[in-house]
Amino acid sequence: MKKKVIVACGGAVATSTIAANKIVELCKNNGIDVEICQIRISEIESNLTGASLICTTSNVKRDYGIPLVKGMPFISGIGVEKTEKALLDVLKAE
Amino acid sequence: MIWKELKEQLIFTDLEAKTYEDVMDQVGEALIKEGYCKDTYKEALKAREAEYPTGLDIDGLGVAIPHTDVSHVNKQGTAIAVLKDPVTFVQMGSDDETTEVRLVFMLAVKEPSTQIDKLQAILAIIQDKETLEKLLEVKNKEEIIEIIKEKEEEN
Repeated sequence: MKKKVIVACGGAVATSTIAANKIVELCKNNGIDVEICQIRISEIESNLTGASLICTTSNVKRDYGIPLVKGMPFISGIGVEKTEKALLDVLKAE
Repeated sequence: MIWKELKEQLIFTDLEAKTYEDVMDQVGEALIKEGYCKDTYKEALKAREAEYPTGLDIDGLGVAIPHTDVSHVNKQGTAIAVLKDPVTFVQMGSDDETTEVRLVFMLAVKEPSTQIDKLQAILAIIQDKETLEKLLEVKNKEEIIEIIKEKEEEN
């Protein structure tokens, strides 16, 4: 089944584009069929239907009721493996 | 690769700035003057930074990648500033963790989906601490382009 992943940042401009691209690659390498929904933080709420997880490069404190993985390591390059594992743990578990 | 697109008008060495707002005024002005961004760009950058900070701690070395909504941008470009003294930025994904920044990559992003290669090229530079350390030592604009060219052509 296709997994919907919400990738969000302040303006859906730069950082979420990078994170989205990384997640597509990661899923491809792990045989996961993924649909990316790249949006602004403010648009998360209205896009939650059917989503497996949220990956955001900004500080989000709200609980949206689905797992949230911080995507900053995709930007800094530090801690990428751990982030990838966290993403896969959620996407493979379902 | 981005080195071919770098313009000396968009590169600063020894930039004197006290705050991140100051950095954005000076570097943002260059992007406006060169036609990359609209007059609204500087204010939009500052507002965005306050809400969604862009400081990065690359293994102890502070870098910031300020950018803002595509509506304030005319065409894609990158400005680079090496600051004379560190300026405090809040770290991306945080409220109050700060990082002392001497290297700023200011992005003018117009079409995110078609610019993924450029964004990744910039990240490849930012994520390479050795290159960052070299950039912090530069004396002039040509050297910045040269260092980035070397980094990009080594692969």
